[in-house]
This record gives sequence, structure tokens and C-alpha cells, in this order.
Amino acid sequence: MEIQLKLYGASKILSDKDILNIELPNNSNIEKLRNVLDKIISEKHSKSDLKNLPKTAAFFSEKDVVVNDAYKLKNRELISIIPPIGGG
Amino acid sequence: MSLHTALVKIEEKKISSEEAKKFILSQKNGAEAIFIGRVRNKNKEKEVTAVTYDAHDQAVLKSFQIICQNAKNQFDKNAKIFLEHAKGYVPVGEISILIAVGSEHRDEAFKICRYVLEEVKHQSPIWKKEHYIDGKEEWLPGHSLRPKQKVN
Repeated sequence: MEIQLKLYGASKILSDKDILNIELPNNSNIEKLRNVLDKIISEKHSKSDLKNLPKTAAFFSEKDVVVNDAYKLKNRELISIIPPIGGG
Repeated sequence: MSLHTALVKIEEKKISSEEAKKFILSQKNGAEAIFIGRVRNKNKEKEVTAVTYDAHDQAVLKSFQIICQNAKNQFDKNAKIFLEHAKGYVPVGEISILIAVGSEHRDEAFKICRYVLEEVKHQSPIWKKEHYIDGKEEWLPGHSLRPKQKVN
């Protein structure tokens, strides 16, 4: 299965586009997505400051609400990654 | 109307303190508190030229409404609150956030202003990328919204 990850803040370093398509095993959840992101960052962005992102990010569903690690992802689902925030 | 909240695309419009003062003006209120946050030229010994603000627009607007409503419920249900935050490239010296509160008494006006600012920093999905004089740039660390994991 594949999900579309909408990038915000520091996670924009992961791609030149606003959305990153990520391949995942079927029936994956947010916890699995964290593991896959961790792998992508260690393989392709090891020099960036993104090392902790898979652990610290929250994820929003299409309804713009935070989903927990057990949340089951659907094929082609649009998920937003929410790195640690800091406006003002 | 007692609440005004907005995420302002800075390339299209500037945040205006005059607009805020006009919004909160009321003969019922004896106190006005205004907080203006601006982009400053130094952070941790680095010379800053500008900050780019990124935001999850829908979630930010939703959080602004909830924060302001909670502030009214907690401190003064008749308060008037104006809250705007910048989005996009904001040069040093420009306004990044403006909170204006009109309330019957000064204590509530100050408390609402402080409450709204702190809650925006801890709840609203907004991110800062600093631009430095040497051409480098850096996303700043922040507050994680990841739900706490249950411990068995």
C-alpha cells in the first residue's frame, strides 16, 4: 500500500514537493509509518536535523485531528506530518 | 462579533495594530491589552534576516477559535479578542503575531493576552524557519503534539 504524506515545517526537507508518497506494507499503522520514516531519514537525510522527527512528530488524519500510533492507514490516504510546533 | 482570528499571508497583507485597536474598541471595556510579536535580528548569537512561517491552515484556524473561546470562558465572557498570525516570509522588524484584548478590567485583559499567546505556541501547528545573514537557514525546534503513549 501507499500513503501520501503532506509535509509541514522541518519535514519539508524530505522532498521538493509538498507531498511525499510512501510505500508501506498492507495494514500498516502510524507506528509502522514512524519506522519507515526513520529508515528513509537514516538512508537519505542522515546529515539533516531530522533524526528525531519520527519520534517527535504527530500525524493528522484527513479530518485534521491527531491520530495515535495504533491508527490503521488506508491505501492512498492523505496524512499530514506535524513536526514539533513553535509559532509566535 | 467578539472574536477575530486569522492567519495572514504576509505577501498579500500586513498585520495592522490599528485594525486590531478598532476591533476591540467598546464603551463597555475599561481595559485594552495589546501584544505584538516581531521578528528580531538575533537568535542564539546568529544574525537573523527573516523568518518564514509555515502553517497547517485549517488546524491553525480551528485552534485559534478554541483558544480564544477558552480564554473568554475562563477570564471574561464579554471580552473582545483579535488574534492574527503571519504566514510566509517575514523580514526582521515586521509583526509575526498580534493579540489585542478589550475587557472590562485590566487584570482579565492582561491574563487573556498572555493565555492566548502561550496556548498558540503550544497548540497551533505553526513552524518557523530562520534565515541568517550568511545565507544559511534553519527550522527551529518546538513543542511536540505527539499523543502521550500509555504505559502498561
